[in-house]
Amino acid sequence: MAKYVPPKQSKLGQIFDVIVLLVLIIGALRLPLLLGMAGGSKVSAPVADPTWETLKQSPAMVEKWNALGITDPASVNEMITARYDYWAFSTLELLVMIVVVIGYFVLVVRFSNVEYKEVIAEKFGDRK
Amino acid sequence: MAKASQAAAPAVEKISLLRVLGPAHVWALGVGIVLVGEYMGWNFGVGKGGAYAALIACWFAGLLYTCVAMIDSEVTSTVAAAGGQFTQAKHIVGPLMAFNVGLYLVFAYTMLEAGNAITIGFLVDTVANMAGHSGIDQRPFIILSIMFLAWLNYRGVLATLNFNLVITAIAFIAVILLFFGVAPWSADSPLKHADLMAGDAALPYGWIGVVAAMHFGLWYYLGIEGTTQAAEEVRSPARALPFGTMAGIITLLIAATLTWYVCAGLMPWEYLGQAGVPLFDAGRLSGSTTLMVLLGIGTLFSTLASANGCINDASRAWFGMGRDHYLPAWFGAVHPKFRTPYRSIIFLVPVALVFALGAPLDQVITFSILSGLLEYTFMPINVILFRKKWPLDTIKRGYVHPFHPLPALVLLALCAVTYFAVFLGYGTQLIAMVGFYIVVSLWFHFWRYRFVKRGDQFTMPWPRPRGY
Amino acid sequence: MDIWNYLEYAAWILSVVFGLYILIDWFKVDSTYSEELLTSSREGELEAMTEKHKL
Repeated sequence: MAKYVPPKQSKLGQIFDVIVLLVLIIGALRLPLLLGMAGGSKVSAPVADPTWETLKQSPAMVEKWNALGITDPASVNEMITARYDYWAFSTLELLVMIVVVIGYFVLVVRFSNVEYKEVIAEKFGDRK
Repeated sequence: MAKASQAAAPAVEKISLLRVLGPAHVWALGVGIVLVGEYMGWNFGVGKGGAYAALIACWFAGLLYTCVAMIDSEVTSTVAAAGGQFTQAKHIVGPLMAFNVGLYLVFAYTMLEAGNAITIGFLVDTVANMAGHSGIDQRPFIILSIMFLAWLNYRGVLATLNFNLVITAIAFIAVILLFFGVAPWSADSPLKHADLMAGDAALPYGWIGVVAAMHFGLWYYLGIEGTTQAAEEVRSPARALPFGTMAGIITLLIAATLTWYVCAGLMPWEYLGQAGVPLFDAGRLSGSTTLMVLLGIGTLFSTLASANGCINDASRAWFGMGRDHYLPAWFGAVHPKFRTPYRSIIFLVPVALVFALGAPLDQVITFSILSGLLEYTFMPINVILFRKKWPLDTIKRGYVHPFHPLPALVLLALCAVTYFAVFLGYGTQLIAMVGFYIVVSLWFHFWRYRFVKRGDQFTMPWPRPRGY
Repeated sequence: MDIWNYLEYAAWILSVVFGLYILIDWFKVDSTYSEELLTSSREGELEAMTEKHKL
């Protein structure tokens, strides 16, 4: 098999590729943050009249809250009542996730294999 | 074979990374990166499922990482080059996989580094508040920690990892001392497990909370696989890497269990589940000023050690990709005096800063965990293909992991559970992240790969893979 | 102004010092040495010498 000689990349091209990558990296990581897509979906349901009792904190727990420097139950009303709603997802979302993750790995492994065959053929010569 | 030894003959003057590290440095690199997971972050798992859920997640994640360490040790003891899993993927699965793995590494470590810097800022703020100064500007401390460590890494790997060895050891000892300090065996111990985990507080979400907690369960250990990044700088990689990695996993299992035990006995789960510096809080609640100061120092040291190791690993992976022209060749440069991949180190500083200064901690951590998770999913594929293309009798391995393919299948199953765990509560972030990897994969396959030499990527002196 | 304010300024100044050190050294190295020498590291060279993969 003929040896593949890659084109030499110009300085400008190198810089351009770095910029593309930077935009992709920052974009992929910052966009979900900006669109509010990242982060946990925790909602708190503060109780109307927060006391340690209504917040269901036992005396031992109250002792620890106090030790942490928190003596006013109202100040941790939101923290204590915040909950994830795990059952809120739809089956469709779950299916989308499964398809995306598996599809991604299938894509990568298949494309890799195509490239890998070329590498092996050039390194070790064509099959006898 | 002949080709590799020809390349080794110094025809022209060349510079490369330095082989100066021993097994203790490997341990320091691995544990140094990860131990911070005990000082912050793991406790978000308590928030996702309660204290018991976090413990179960801790052990299942321990099992996951034992599989990771076994598989990784076998492959690494054979493929020893900077870039670690990146180089493994290139030789075993193929170039596109390697490109993706390289990015997983860079992201997992750079995001972890950003998380560490955020924690340092938070710690300074907490201490300043306790000293009666409110409203301190956290930014200079975040920037300083990143700049200082970048400088240290720039100046050379031996000093960097010696520094890590010392501060990691101190942070680990602090956890042990805390455990003895709260004296769980005595009657007046401040630990109140039974009271704090009674009734609803035991498993606030039921069993699905246990699954959800797996998400942050990874955080107890995330990054231990980074030991392989040092392969090109270790004096005897085939022995030092498996040894350092296994010793690291054992250290972490001990530290993780002790941390959970002390923290769950000192704080209500609602507080623990969102705490920024849980072990420091535990030190405060222990009632001993000495312990509080010690754990404060431990938090600072563990975050520094971790960010330090992250800069080291991320820059090696980026460097490895530059050297192969997966990225612009410019990044493949070695500093002629310090022998470090200096341009890669510089490039990653602003990336880390962007996230350290502008993103919430749990989300930065989730980015890091997701990249790690994708990497662990790659590992079973990697080892199964490795055994298929080069069966045991074809090349010499420094370490052969037992019960193949059981560890690979267990790892795959645990990864599947963890994807679901991340999906619970952080689903959109997961899909956005995988979407990014699909886009860059297409970019690489259809554009970037044209600049890569083909046969030359295969640098190991191995025979032709079976079936090709 | 208390000690924490001074610490803030100290952190800013030190950040700039470390940053400048890296930048200056970077430009010095890049202008002193040739690009061929700087990017002459190759994967697996030492590996080929120190580890034997023959059974």
